[in-house]
Amino acid sequence: MNDLTPARAVAADAGTPAAKIRLLCAEKTFQVRGQDIEALHPTDLDIRPHEFMALVGPSGCGKSTILNMMAGLMRPTAGEVLYDGQPVTGPNRRVGYMTQKDTLLPWRTTKDNIRIALELKSHATPRAEAEDRVRQMIELVGLKGFENHTPAELSGGMRKRAAMARTLIYEPETLLMDEPFGALDSQLKLLMLDQLQCLTQHRRMSVVFVTHDLGEAITLSDRIVVLSARPGRIRAIHDVKLERPRDVFKVRFTPAFSEQHERLWDELKDDIIKGTDV
Amino acid sequence: MTEGQRTRPADAARRGRDNILIWQAALVVGLLAIWEICGRLTGADQVSSPSRIIRTIMVWLGGELYPHLFTTLGELACGMAIGCSLGILAGLVLGRMPIVSLILRPIIVGLYSVPLVTLAPLFIMFFGLDLLPKIVLVSMVTFFLLFFNTFTGAQQVDEDYLRTLDLMGASKFEQFRKVVAPATAVWIAGGIRIALPYALVATITGELLATRSGLGFLISRAAERFDMTSLYAVLLILMTIGLLLSEAALRLEHRFLRWRQVAE
Ligand SMILES: Nc1ncnc2c1ncn2[C@@H]1O[C@H](COP(=O)(O)OP(=O)(O)O)[C@@H](O)[C@H]1O
Ligand SMILES: [Mg+2]
Repeated sequence: MNDLTPARAVAADAGTPAAKIRLLCAEKTFQVRGQDIEALHPTDLDIRPHEFMALVGPSGCGKSTILNMMAGLMRPTAGEVLYDGQPVTGPNRRVGYMTQKDTLLPWRTTKDNIRIALELKSHATPRAEAEDRVRQMIELVGLKGFENHTPAELSGGMRKRAAMARTLIYEPETLLMDEPFGALDSQLKLLMLDQLQCLTQHRRMSVVFVTHDLGEAITLSDRIVVLSARPGRIRAIHDVKLERPRDVFKVRFTPAFSEQHERLWDELKDDIIKGTDV
Repeated sequence: MTEGQRTRPADAARRGRDNILIWQAALVVGLLAIWEICGRLTGADQVSSPSRIIRTIMVWLGGELYPHLFTTLGELACGMAIGCSLGILAGLVLGRMPIVSLILRPIIVGLYSVPLVTLAPLFIMFFGLDLLPKIVLVSMVTFFLLFFNTFTGAQQVDEDYLRTLDLMGASKFEQFRKVVAPATAVWIAGGIRIALPYALVATITGELLATRSGLGFLISRAAERFDMTSLYAVLLILMTIGLLLSEAALRLEHRFLRWRQVAE
């Protein structure tokens, strides 16, 4: 028992805080034409280092808002967002953020869009190596043959994949992804999930992943946060008890997966109907 | 399959364009023929005739034309270079600095509302008879056109692009180089295309008022001598220059616009 305390102290000194990202009573209220719209109810949430966490919930429940706050693009109306224990006060350059809307530069080709981070001083990479990594990324997201197309010449799913490659290429320690595979057909989606799982596991990234697809969430995640309809609040956090490494293509057919899926669905179904803003 | 679907309308468009070209050529040839006939019938100096104009131009091309041509083109080029650089710079800076632009905008709009060509006599008083007053005039004209175009473009840069680069760790300068500059390039190229004819007019106006060489000088000399053939010859040369310049500018703009066209 006595041994435990110094050991803990050492761990803390080594700079491994319990949470990579932490929401402390973070809430967000938007003002739209003089009206207050509470997007996110005060929320506490910890994302552990090297954890893959999925956020699911009806549309409009504040999932993108949570990612925006983690990326430092939005300030919480009240409460705090911590990254490695430090308050996030401006753009958080430790995260790679793949936003819901892809922001590929329309005047750049696929290849040049994917390379852009490597052209920056902060990720400066020799030209030959950069070309090499771009080629690998293009293969990884299955965009071979479209290297020289502009975003306008790509389909929605292709643009998402290009945006993913652009975010992954500089290997940020934390990855925020907002519905990255929404526009993909299911076969391609599985391939992408496989690649994403390989990369994030291999590089031990922390990931926060927003999705509508429960199967996707279960396949990839360590934990799944279920949010309720607006104003968003955490309804439940599910641990996914599937062994790693997982076979993206087969794990869906295991009983453990089905059981998890069922529990999640029970949690979500009432809200999904409520939350659909039709 | 898509290949076939794409080429067919393109073919049709090309044929349509060819047809238009044929009609335009026929119209020009017809008008020139009428002019020539009238000129020969009347023999009047005021009417002149295409053949006399061509003869004059041929003589000039033997040597006399070049100093004047170089003067005019030199003034145009210098004025454009100065006006464009300053206009682009100001447009980029103010377009990305909302506060400064709020302060300076009324002044710039006010200045722009003055018909600049009316300042020509003033510049001649300040800067003498030679190249300088024309260069200043052309710079002013191009400055404003480039400024407004660049300013608009710089203001409309998608903030999401900047945010994306920011999160990747791009410095302000890198964000500027990788996003603001390319996003604004289309607007700048458009500004140059619009500015060219104005700049040419400004050059010639300056030269008409006071000068010792240049195409404007040729015009005023011909007018003093009631030499209509020379006058028309200069106008023809100016027209050719104007056409060549605007064609070049259009090409430049298309280069920057390629991604835009695909998007539509
Ligand atoms: N910039 C904004 N201005 C006003 N309201 C916003 C803004 N962003 C999001 N909202 C509102 O906040 C709520 C949550 O939005 P969002 O986080 O995008 O939801 P989700 O990503 O879960 O679909 C929605 O009702 C949305 O209309
Ligand atoms: Mg969203």
